[in-house]
Amino acid sequence: LSKKLTSTCFVRFEKELCAGRGTCLPVCPTKAIRIKNKKAIRIVEQCIGCGECIRICRERAVSAATEGPEVLNDDHIAIALVSPVLYAQFPGVMPKYVLLGLRQMGFQHTIDMSYFLEMFQCATEEFISRNRASGQAPWPLISPICPVVVRLIAFKFPNLLPNVLPVLRPVALMAREVKRRLIPEYLAQNRKVVLYYINPCPTKKDPACLPAGKQPAPTEIALGINDIYPQLIKHVDQIRAADAIPFYQSRFEYETCATGNASLWAMSGGEIADMDIDRSLAVSGMDETIQYLEKIELGLFQDIEYIEFRTCREGCLGGVLNATDKYLAKSAVQKMVKRFGLGRRLHRENILRLYKKGEFQSDKDPSKLTTLFGARKKALSIDAMQKIEKVLQMIKGTDCTACGAPDCRTFAEDVVRGEAELNKCVYIVNK
Amino acid sequence: MPRLKKSYHIKARDFIGAGEASINVQNLLKSMDFDPRLIRRVAICGYEGEMNVVMHGGDGTMSIELDDKRLTLEISDDGPGIEDIALAMQAGYSTANDEHRRMGFGAGMGLPNMKKNSDRIQIESQKNNGTVVRMLFMIPEKGETD
Repeated sequence: LSKKLTSTCFVRFEKELCAGRGTCLPVCPTKAIRIKNKKAIRIVEQCIGCGECIRICRERAVSAATEGPEVLNDDHIAIALVSPVLYAQFPGVMPKYVLLGLRQMGFQHTIDMSYFLEMFQCATEEFISRNRASGQAPWPLISPICPVVVRLIAFKFPNLLPNVLPVLRPVALMAREVKRRLIPEYLAQNRKVVLYYINPCPTKKDPACLPAGKQPAPTEIALGINDIYPQLIKHVDQIRAADAIPFYQSRFEYETCATGNASLWAMSGGEIADMDIDRSLAVSGMDETIQYLEKIELGLFQDIEYIEFRTCREGCLGGVLNATDKYLAKSAVQKMVKRFGLGRRLHRENILRLYKKGEFQSDKDPSKLTTLFGARKKALSIDAMQKIEKVLQMIKGTDCTACGAPDCRTFAEDVVRGEAELNKCVYIVNK
Repeated sequence: MPRLKKSYHIKARDFIGAGEASINVQNLLKSMDFDPRLIRRVAICGYEGEMNVVMHGGDGTMSIELDDKRLTLEISDDGPGIEDIALAMQAGYSTANDEHRRMGFGAGMGLPNMKKNSDRIQIESQKNNGTVVRMLFMIPEKGETD
C-alpha cells in the first residue's frame, strides 16, 4: 500500500490514479505539492488540510484521510458527532430524520451540535464585550471555527495568532460533554466507545499519523459526509416513507434536536448572523481569506471586532467532502431557517456562569501551533534571495508548472535550496 | 556585502487593489530571516505610502533595497507633489477629499505614521513634479533583539 500512496495527516495521493497533469500544484495555498516522475507527491509538513487538491483533481487521485462506514461494527458503541452541515445535504428533510437515519446505520448515539454552537456564540459575545474594556486581545478577533484558517495563520501569518479568539470550538465543547457524561458509563461496563466526527472537509487528522502514545482515548475517527451519504440517504428515504417513525430512546436533549440558528452555521456568514457583535465580517473562499489576512497583517480592519473566515467558498457547505451541491445545500439551509426561526434555547445566565468558571477558555497556547509544521523551511538569506532573482531572470516566468513546481518563484527557490535541478525547466532546456 | 533590490508598481486610484505592493514587500521579508517587528514597521510605512500614492499621486513605484545592515523603502510617484512638506508632516493635516474620507482615509496621519515607524525619513517633492519618500530602517544584528 505504501508504494501506491503518499499521504499527509489529512489527504492521500494515489499514484496509480495520478495523471501528472499538475492541476493540484497551483491551488495548494502552502505550495506543498510537487510532481516528481509524473506523479504528484507532497511535502507533508506544509499540508494544512484544506482539501483544495481533492476538489480540483479530475482523476480522483487525491482523497481525504477519512474512514468509510465499514468501520461501524458491533464490537463498540458508536457515537456520531453531527454538525449542521450534514442536514444541509438533505433538502426538504427534517434534521431529526437525518439523525434517525444515522441510528439505523448503527450509531448508538447521535449528538447534534446546536447546543454547543449556542454556547460558543454566547461565550464569544462575552469575550468580545469584555475585550472592549480590557483590550486583552488585538482587533480584529478571528474566528477559531475553521481549523484550516487557524492552521493557515500558524503557517503563513504567525503574527496573527494572538488575534485568534481563545474560546473553545463547538466541536470541542461537544466532544468534552460526551466524554464527561456519556462515555464513562460505557467504560464502567467495559464497553469500547468510538467517537465519529462526520465532517464536510478533510481537516480531522488521521489518527494513524499521530505519534505513538498520543492516540486519543476513546478512539476518535473522522468520516467524510460523502463516505456515509449513500447509505444514509437510503435509511432517510425509508424512514420518510414508513407509516410509523422508528423510536429510539434518547437520554439527552442534544441527541435529537436541531435549531434554525444552528442550521445557519453551515453557510458563510452563519456564525455572525445572530451574534450580538457590532462590527463583524464574514469572508469565504481560500483566495479571499488569504487576501484579508494579508491586509490584517498590514494593520487594516482594526475597526472590526470579529471576522468569520471559511476557506471553502460559501462556508462549510462548500466543503470538499459534501454530497450535495453547495448552492442546493444553501437553499436548504435558508428554508430550514425560515421554518425554525432564529431563537436561542439556552439560558444566557447559565452560560455566563460557566464562562466565569473558565469552561470555555481555550488553554491552547497559540504560539505552539507554529510547531505543527515541524520541518519548516529555513528562512532565506539575502544571498539566497539574490540567487533566486537570478534564476527567475533565466527562466521564462509563465508559471507553466511543467517542472513539477507550482510556479516559477517556487521552482527558483527549490533550485537555490538544492531541492530541484535547473534543467527541469522546459524553457532552459529548449533555449 | 550582498544586496537585494526589488520594485513594485502602484496604480493610481486603484482603491480595491491598494496594498498589493506593501503585501509583496511584506511577503518578501517574511520569507527571509527578519524580526517580525521590523517587518511590521516596514509594512505599515509601505501601506501608508502606497495609500498616499493611490489617493493623490498618480502612478508610482515602491522599491525596497536591503543588505545586512540597512533596509531602504522608497515610494515615488509622478503626481502633483507636496507644496509645503513641513505642513504635510504635521499630524492631522490632510488634503484628502470627500471621496477619500467616505472610505475612511484622510485622517492626516500618513506621513507622521511613516516618520514614527521608520528610523529616518526623507521627502523630496516639488509642486507639479512628483514626490519621493525614502525611509531607512536599521536591521538589528542577530541576537541583538532577543
